[in-house]
Amino acid sequence: MGPQAVLSHLHRADGSATYAQNGYSIIGSVNGPIEVLRRDELPEEATIEVNIRPAIGVGSPKERHLETLIHNTLRSIILTRSIPRTLLQITLQVRSLPEEDASTGVSTSLTLLPHLLNTALLSLLSASIPLSTIVTSVLLAIPANTSTPVCSPDPKELLRAKPIRSIHVFAFSGDRRLLLNESDGTFSYDEWEEACELAEDVCCKEEGGVGLGEGMEVDGPQDNMESWLRDVVKRKVEQEQRWRTAD
Amino acid sequence: MATTTTTSQPALSFPRPIFAALSPHPFLQAHLTSTPKQPLRANGRTAHEFRSLGVNTGSLTHCNGSAVIRMGNTAVVCGVRAEILSSETGGQEISGQEDEKEDEGDEDDDTGEIESLKLLVPNIELATGSSPQHLPGQAPSAFAQTLVTRLRSLLLSSRIVRLEDLRILYTPPSNPDESHSDEEQRREVKGHWTLYIDTMFLSLDGNAFDAAWLAILAALRDTLLPHAFWDEELETILCSDDPADAHKLRLRGLPVPSTYAVFEGKSEDEEDGGVDWVLSDPDAFEESVCRETVCVVVDRSEGGMEGRLRRIEKCGGGVVDRGVMKTLVERSTQRSGVWEKVLSGS
Repeated sequence: MGPQAVLSHLHRADGSATYAQNGYSIIGSVNGPIEVLRRDELPEEATIEVNIRPAIGVGSPKERHLETLIHNTLRSIILTRSIPRTLLQITLQVRSLPEEDASTGVSTSLTLLPHLLNTALLSLLSASIPLSTIVTSVLLAIPANTSTPVCSPDPKELLRAKPIRSIHVFAFSGDRRLLLNESDGTFSYDEWEEACELAEDVCCKEEGGVGLGEGMEVDGPQDNMESWLRDVVKRKVEQEQRWRTAD
Repeated sequence: MATTTTTSQPALSFPRPIFAALSPHPFLQAHLTSTPKQPLRANGRTAHEFRSLGVNTGSLTHCNGSAVIRMGNTAVVCGVRAEILSSETGGQEISGQEDEKEDEGDEDDDTGEIESLKLLVPNIELATGSSPQHLPGQAPSAFAQTLVTRLRSLLLSSRIVRLEDLRILYTPPSNPDESHSDEEQRREVKGHWTLYIDTMFLSLDGNAFDAAWLAILAALRDTLLPHAFWDEELETILCSDDPADAHKLRLRGLPVPSTYAVFEGKSEDEEDGGVDWVLSDPDAFEESVCRETVCVVVDRSEGGMEGRLRRIEKCGGGVVDRGVMKTLVERSTQRSGVWEKVLSGS
């Protein structure tokens, strides 16, 4: 089952989105550009602040690590120089985690990271923040008994495929550049390369005409993240514009 | 008038440190582009050159293991302190064969138990006056928290410490009436050693992760745990004070991290993006100008010369693609040879 998304459902925030996939559900909200504290002000670009709230309890060093990763990734796609001396505040609240999340034996911050990134991007789109490109992210796992990577596995699949030899998170920009990669476990360069190529196919839209895209759908049921994202935004825009088309 | 301006006019060129402070990015770019044949960075190294390492172990007397390391101007002290965590549940039983199956055996629940009992506790202290960014007396910064999360997850996922070394076992005396035909002997886990790995930065000049990991590795290799045993009469765990009984940790593998920073050169005309340099082992100045960082962890101890990858972390930009990553893996593999020498020589 593909990811579910709702855009702009929080009315007090400048932009918001809820994203749900495989039992993970995250609410994202973006406020900005707003006034920045003098201490954090950057003369030539916007300050980006990412806050991650876990499902239970208060933030720990694990959340700080995820915040750093998301901050660095978003900084490379947001046109921060076009809104200097302002603040962009991105808050990501984890609403629910799947029950099996803690027992899969792989790092729980890596399984959460792609969902956080996708939520952050949807919220940024909803807040109409100037972006140079989009980012789409995916999780891959390589089980110990086979060498073929499993793409965006849900926690039940991970439990079944246990032990997992290595786990990878990839994020690609709209122009197919590798923006973020976190890989953990034991793997060879060839395995990493194969996983990276698969992730690129899943994240980025197939180059070329519609015919190629159709051919890909026959190959596998995986639909890719970028066309999914375009679809979400298109539906939202159509809904907003329906007063124009109504007769 | 013309004569007055020429006498009072300040020099049109800046001294080096002022140029670096005013415009760091063009400063580094000027260094890298001035000699096209052999581009040198501002610190005099080539793009692929790492800093030399210095390791000194066993300098702290009150720790079970310690190391002071230097990597250029980054200096780190690491101390490993062991404490006993006694099992309150009365000890779980394990079978006698367990330590015979050396490597491949219970790999899976190994990390699980170390993680759930929190037997490895790394901590980082940056606020020692090590750099102007981290003032003493403040709460750990986001950078310090990120660093300690990365170190902890590498400690756990590389499974470098064996659970077996941390277990305190007890063999109950076998009943003489019982004819024990089976050679299998029941042993009970009466407690565990918890390792507190405290790392202090004396001076931070970039590449904190590699430096901290080198200090931790060197300290763990130096760690000596006293022989702990269950005393039946006192019903408690005692340690023998004979140094001959103490044992070292048998570490699994040797994961070596190498950090790179990507310097995105800007060309004069904005059209083509200019040349990008991937700088090995960045110092603090280079870290402040570079946005994209890559960290590759290689373990050569198992997979022969080409080694196995343990971890790749990359974020902040899109310059490093699959082709560049391949060269970085090669550079990291070469670098791990240097670490092996430095660590075994100490």
